[in-house]
Amino acid sequence: MTEDRPRQRRKEHAWGKFYFSQAFKQAPWRSQTQMIGLFFIALVVVLLVAAVYLTISGQASAAGLTALNLDTKRSNLERTIADKKADLALLTSASIMEQRAKDMGFQPADPDNVIYVVVPGYTGRQTAILAPPPGIVEEEGPVVKSIYRQSLWDWLFQGINRLSNSVEGK
Amino acid sequence: MIDWFRSLPRMKWLAIIFTLFAVAIGVQMIRVQTSASAKNLNQWAENYGYELRTIQSERGYIYDRWGHLLAGNKEVYEVGVELQYVANPITIATTLASITGADYNTVFTAASQAYVAGSSVYVTVADFVDVDKINQIEALKEQYEESNPYGEDPDKPSLRGLVWSAHLQRIYPENSLAANVLGFYPYLDRENGRGFFGVEEEYNDLLAGEKKQGLIPLDPYQMETIPTAPAGASLILTIDRDIQRSTESILDAAVKSTGADNGTIIVMDPKTGEILAMASTPRMDPNKYWEYSDIFKSGIPYNKAISQVYEPGSVFKILTMAGAIDAGVVKPETGFTDSGAIEVGGVTIYNWDRGAWGPQTMVGCLQHSLNVCLSWVATQLGTEKFYQYLDAFGIGHRTNIDLAGEEVFPLSEPGDPMWYQVNLATNSFGQGVAVTPIQMVMAASSLANDGKMVSPHVLKAYIQNGQQYNTAIQVVGNPISAETAHTITKMLETSLQQESSDALVEGYSVAGKTGTAEIAVNGQYSSNQTNASFVGWGPTDDPQFLVYVWLEKPSSSIWGSVVAAPVFRDVVKQLVVLMNIPPDAERLSLKGQ
Repeated sequence: MTEDRPRQRRKEHAWGKFYFSQAFKQAPWRSQTQMIGLFFIALVVVLLVAAVYLTISGQASAAGLTALNLDTKRSNLERTIADKKADLALLTSASIMEQRAKDMGFQPADPDNVIYVVVPGYTGRQTAILAPPPGIVEEEGPVVKSIYRQSLWDWLFQGINRLSNSVEGK
Repeated sequence: MIDWFRSLPRMKWLAIIFTLFAVAIGVQMIRVQTSASAKNLNQWAENYGYELRTIQSERGYIYDRWGHLLAGNKEVYEVGVELQYVANPITIATTLASITGADYNTVFTAASQAYVAGSSVYVTVADFVDVDKINQIEALKEQYEESNPYGEDPDKPSLRGLVWSAHLQRIYPENSLAANVLGFYPYLDRENGRGFFGVEEEYNDLLAGEKKQGLIPLDPYQMETIPTAPAGASLILTIDRDIQRSTESILDAAVKSTGADNGTIIVMDPKTGEILAMASTPRMDPNKYWEYSDIFKSGIPYNKAISQVYEPGSVFKILTMAGAIDAGVVKPETGFTDSGAIEVGGVTIYNWDRGAWGPQTMVGCLQHSLNVCLSWVATQLGTEKFYQYLDAFGIGHRTNIDLAGEEVFPLSEPGDPMWYQVNLATNSFGQGVAVTPIQMVMAASSLANDGKMVSPHVLKAYIQNGQQYNTAIQVVGNPISAETAHTITKMLETSLQQESSDALVEGYSVAGKTGTAEIAVNGQYSSNQTNASFVGWGPTDDPQFLVYVWLEKPSSSIWGSVVAAPVFRDVVKQLVVLMNIPPDAERLSLKGQ
């Protein structure tokens, strides 16, 4: 029973080969269809690769353009912030504030008419703290990550390289 | 052959045609990419594919101790002409002349230049133009563009070709307030601008940040990083805007009322060395820095408080007396009979009034500012120790205050060719020795701060990369003991009270000393021209301020006790309010609660 199995498999294989040859002889268009099919598969693969490549390139370019636009916007905002700070400082300058106070009927305090009271928990006026103290500094990375600039071939070759390295145990 | 062609089915014909077409496309692609034109195109892409951009950090801000902006930046515009697009130079010249005040002929000539690619492309016609004016120009440009699209009609007005770009300009919102401390930044020089004087010069490197050039790819796909320059560090000064303003106001009034040439007032926290106010005349508005040469004529220092050396006169006696008490040579109650003259090194020294004041204690010597007594004290202390103490007080050395332009006059000591024995006497009462006001302030800080001499400074903190770094107090020496400091403070407090000085402030205990120094004119001391000064601190049990007043050549009176002491009082009266210091009695009772 066990010895008959290899012989039977060989017979089946020969029969299958004969069957396909016979089928193609009887209908030669099948061969053409196969060729056309293979051609279209190759074409679809090429188109897919091109589409992926174009999409990634387009996205990378769009990201780069966005980054450039954002950088310009940031510069504009920084200038605007500086300008607003200067405007605010002008509006609250000592001379203007003094004039406003006078216009509102205030007078400079004299040591004789100042009343001092103890306010529990009040430690006095604190000097300016305009930024947090030194701590962990976060390093800024590149604007566009390298993965977005990688071509399909770069990605493919790097993948193959990684694979071969892992196979070689590097 | 023809039969062979005829025998081909139509489908195969189509296949051949499409194949040939595809091959032709391929050949053309290769030809386009390898032709001479393609090389030119590549070269052009290399040349114009990147923009060389100069990136400059925004100059850091300067704040006072409470966060009030003393120096910042505002947005202004550079206006230029892109010659390629100019349609009507007359309109451009007329508009800029009427709105920005630019010279019509200059603008017209600039805008009329012929466009030459690569060499004559853009001309700047105005700079530092305010945003309001730019808005007016923009509105006009749009209006003209509607009535004359693309400037096609040369007879109609058009502002085509006129462009503007924003940049920052240094601004000092408080105008001349603390100008001597701040210095100035010549913003008109956009390429090589750097700070001059004060903190603008001292901390120029911190404030300026970075200036670098970077290639920016114009192809967004090529862009990897955008070079940026973080803003320069911002500075928080120890200066109190309100105290500074009050001090400047008092100084200006004092200079005017006493007829003094100039004056200086320094207010410092003697425990920390923080300069709360530093006023000096003359002063200028750093927004109009080009007036510098008109205001500071014939070598007048920008900040006399740190750059002008002068003979301080009797305020120096506090150092002599402090040294002598510290060395144990005299005590407050030590007696001295003033005969009105003393000979030192073969030269006779007299009192300021040429009078003899009879029996005195050391308190009386200070109270009456007796040159003869202090000369005797110096001789008792001895030459070597006297100069050791002066050295310890920092006389003859820079204080290293963090302001640009500090000057120092070397102290003549025994062994120097210019030193004579009489110098011991004259130096003891502040003649024959030259100091800057800030040197006197630093030396006096040891008397007001338990013998510890602190380094005067104006930088409280700086902000860099979004983080605030606070500066630390620096004790630069202990020239005298705490006990001596308390003793001399008590002596000076008593002497002021006993003479009913104009420096006294009701309700507050202050210690201080007047000074009247004759000024050497053509090698001879003039009795008509003096430096009048006053140094004092308070409250005496817990000093929170130290005030130094110097009036140069007052004409209403030559005496420090008459012209400088009232200025000290006026400053202190404002200080106690601005610093929330209650009167002594009230403060001590509140402290007990």
